[in-house]
Amino acid sequence: MAYSDKVIDHYNNPRNVGSFGKADADVGTGIVGAPECGDVMKLQLRINPESRVIEDARFKTFGCGSAIASSSYVTELVKGKHIDEAMAIKNTAIVAELNLPPVKIHCSVLAEDAIKAAIGDWKKHHGDAEPAAEPRRAREG
Amino acid sequence: MITCPSCARAQSPALVCVGCGAPLGANLDLFAALDLPRRLTIDPAALERAYHDLSRRLHPDRFAAAPAKIRAASLRATANLTRAYRTLRDPAARGRYWLELHGRKLGDDNQRVPAELAAMVFETQERLEELRDERTPEALAGARERRLSVDAALAAAGRALAENFARWDAAAATADDERETRFAELKAVLSKIAYLTTLLRDIDRELETARAA
Repeated sequence: MAYSDKVIDHYNNPRNVGSFGKADADVGTGIVGAPECGDVMKLQLRINPESRVIEDARFKTFGCGSAIASSSYVTELVKGKHIDEAMAIKNTAIVAELNLPPVKIHCSVLAEDAIKAAIGDWKKHHGDAEPAAEPRRAREG
Repeated sequence: MITCPSCARAQSPALVCVGCGAPLGANLDLFAALDLPRRLTIDPAALERAYHDLSRRLHPDRFAAAPAKIRAASLRATANLTRAYRTLRDPAARGRYWLELHGRKLGDDNQRVPAELAAMVFETQERLEELRDERTPEALAGARERRLSVDAALAAAGRALAENFARWDAAAATADDERETRFAELKAVLSKIAYLTTLLRDIDRELETARAA
């Protein structure tokens, strides 16, 4: 299967790889995994507690090119966004940007989940408990 | 109803004809293909016995001189038997087949992996990365230690799977929500097993590479 140019670019030059210190109170961490392919993704977001804007992001992903590209793209996508805006990001935006083929859509779902998990983690530490998780909806590709 | 290719007797689909004992080659579910009750808990020794016994009885060599229709039926029955044996002897494959038998698939409602499991996989991958970067005794010990914990988690998941099987076998779930709970539980444990099995393979590959170096 051929990867799109954008996937190859993110794979060869991943943006914002790495991690923030665990002690950093303004950082939310989300680790999500895909059992079907064995991939695992860690996304960290530094969020300004006053403005609730995502100021910086780091990721580290063990997985295929599409999983790495999806998480790399997400770190660029969320920077400068308010957490409510970031929570509304759909996997379809990632699919469209990276031209992911149908068999790789689950990589974009994983990246979307990582944003939600990281913001959820941050809210937990900022006295803003996540409301009860909504039932998982069907995804469009 | 199907018709025996040998004696033309009409009967319900089965392994062999009730009249003449010829293989029927019917398209049976994998439990029936092994002449086993449709139960998820299977004694490995009984499975081996059933497989070897039926392999002998249905073997194409026994029907080498029979008419083409019967030879074809023997081939179909044998192929189905082998598939049944390979699927049912592995509890995880058996569980996935159970889902399939009920019109469900493991991946069809993309499930979220529990956070602790994802964290465990991530930490283990990081240990493996350290080992790839630097083959120090500490990195090697770290990877071996992770192997033990992944192995233990896999064993625990295997026990959880056996418990789920026992619940299906103990009583038919009559209420819809009870069935859904059992299916959800089965899917969760099967996806955990798949994830940990892949991870264990990754660990073993890295340990093997480190040993060979």
